[in-house]
Amino acid sequence: MPTTPTQENDVFRIPIGPQHPALKEPGHFEFTVDGEVVTAATLRLGYVHRGIEKGTEGRNWIQSLYLLERVCGICSHVHATAYCLGVEKLAGVEAPPRAQAIRVLVAELERIHSHMLWLGVAAHEAGFDMLFMYSWRDRETVMNLLEGITGNRVNYSANQLGGVKCDIDGEQADDIRVGLDFLEGRIKHYLDVVSQDTMFLRRTRGIGVMTREDCERMGIVGPTARASGVELDLRVHAPYAAYPEHPVNLVTATAGDLEARFIVRVNELFESIRLIREILDDLPEGDLSVRVPRRIPAGETISRVEAPRGELFYYIKSNRSDMADRVKVRTPTLPNMASVLEIAVGHQLADIPMILTGIDPCFSCNDRMVAINDPSRGEQAWTWEQLRQYGIEYYR
Amino acid sequence: MRLGSMWRDALSALVREPATQQYPFERLQAPEHLRSKLHWDLTNCTGCGLCAKDCPSDAIDVIVLDKKARKFVFRYHVDRCTFCSQCVMSCPKKCLEMANDEWELASLTPDDFLVYYGNEEDVETVLAAAASNGADASSTDTE
Repeated sequence: MPTTPTQENDVFRIPIGPQHPALKEPGHFEFTVDGEVVTAATLRLGYVHRGIEKGTEGRNWIQSLYLLERVCGICSHVHATAYCLGVEKLAGVEAPPRAQAIRVLVAELERIHSHMLWLGVAAHEAGFDMLFMYSWRDRETVMNLLEGITGNRVNYSANQLGGVKCDIDGEQADDIRVGLDFLEGRIKHYLDVVSQDTMFLRRTRGIGVMTREDCERMGIVGPTARASGVELDLRVHAPYAAYPEHPVNLVTATAGDLEARFIVRVNELFESIRLIREILDDLPEGDLSVRVPRRIPAGETISRVEAPRGELFYYIKSNRSDMADRVKVRTPTLPNMASVLEIAVGHQLADIPMILTGIDPCFSCNDRMVAINDPSRGEQAWTWEQLRQYGIEYYR
Repeated sequence: MRLGSMWRDALSALVREPATQQYPFERLQAPEHLRSKLHWDLTNCTGCGLCAKDCPSDAIDVIVLDKKARKFVFRYHVDRCTFCSQCVMSCPKKCLEMANDEWELASLTPDDFLVYYGNEEDVETVLAAAASNGADASSTDTE
């Protein structure tokens, strides 16, 4: 793996990463350039593989919830929700309506925090640090609301198997409404900034254009796909938890460039705010949780939820013990990463950080080990020692 | 399209109060539902150990000295705790509670992260056993 620019056969290659490739997470990109223009791009992931899926096989169903919540520090609640919904489906129980509503409420607050975090990071990559600092200052409002509801600022642990742990009383509801009123005003201002500021638009308008066909071919998900006109949002098309009772209006754009990705994400913030207000006005009465057996009946299921970055997929298999037999996680960054390599070609090298940030990547979420069985070579099983050796060689 | 769309923010920031606090001279009021240090109440505890079994970070040991006489010691590793409050949810007798104002838990000595709850003489017994067995009490006496 070269770490300095190299020139072979008149091809000039620039390595970026694995340390700090635009974002403070590890990933190794290699761009072939002609002058300042990128002509080809490759990617290598896997620097933060943590063995979380394997880790769940040694913990009971309850403990695994907290491990899986830590797949992502930004969208931890949505991971816990996907896991809880899957395990509840396997156990044949359903969380009470009040719990489902609170799950959605926390998920939407989390979406606000995640999109505002992204707005700041993306502005920083564009060299607009003022927008970065102000959006992060205002993001504190939603962080405080989440802390007020759940008791934690990050990794909220609002979910438990069978429901939620935290209730929302009248005083908290009022606090949330006040916070949302403030945020709504600020977000309107940020929408003006990202859609009108001349300097900023020079970094976003017409950059990284992806057509609807490109998105569908590469399997792009989430706001990145919606910015290209793909009508795909699991909250709308496969509603879960309390989304059937509180429908979401799909936010899309057609331009498919970076500006459209900004506008889609910022407009999603308004939709989240509307949804939270609707839930607060119509919070069902009742219990917060139901009992889930310690041993989950044998079976397998999938659970899909809409994370801030797109579709989050969980596969859960139980063999009727108190531990999961297999948990497979696919986070939205993995499919979206393909788009970076494709749309980088033809752009200036200086636009690459913005294009990468445009998909709102989360590197540590997507690092999984996948071994593909080649039928011509027969079944392959890896021993622990082989895996260990492979790991040592990989990082050498 | 316009230039300098955030100049109003910049000007208003000149006359605004700082957004940060001068901690530790000024302390923010902790939210009512904040999860901080865990507290255990012996009164109803049956020593079932569900709290320890469900703890995702191995932060709880329930040391059973005599189950019939209900002599239990609750050892809490503050440094391992992730403040998820699963133990509070798992306890069938509601013996556990998370305080909302004991969040200043940083310390320079590891001993401060090991908290024992229980009757004084039972804690003494456990500490004496730990001292004779080495630095840490054996985990075989936990249930």
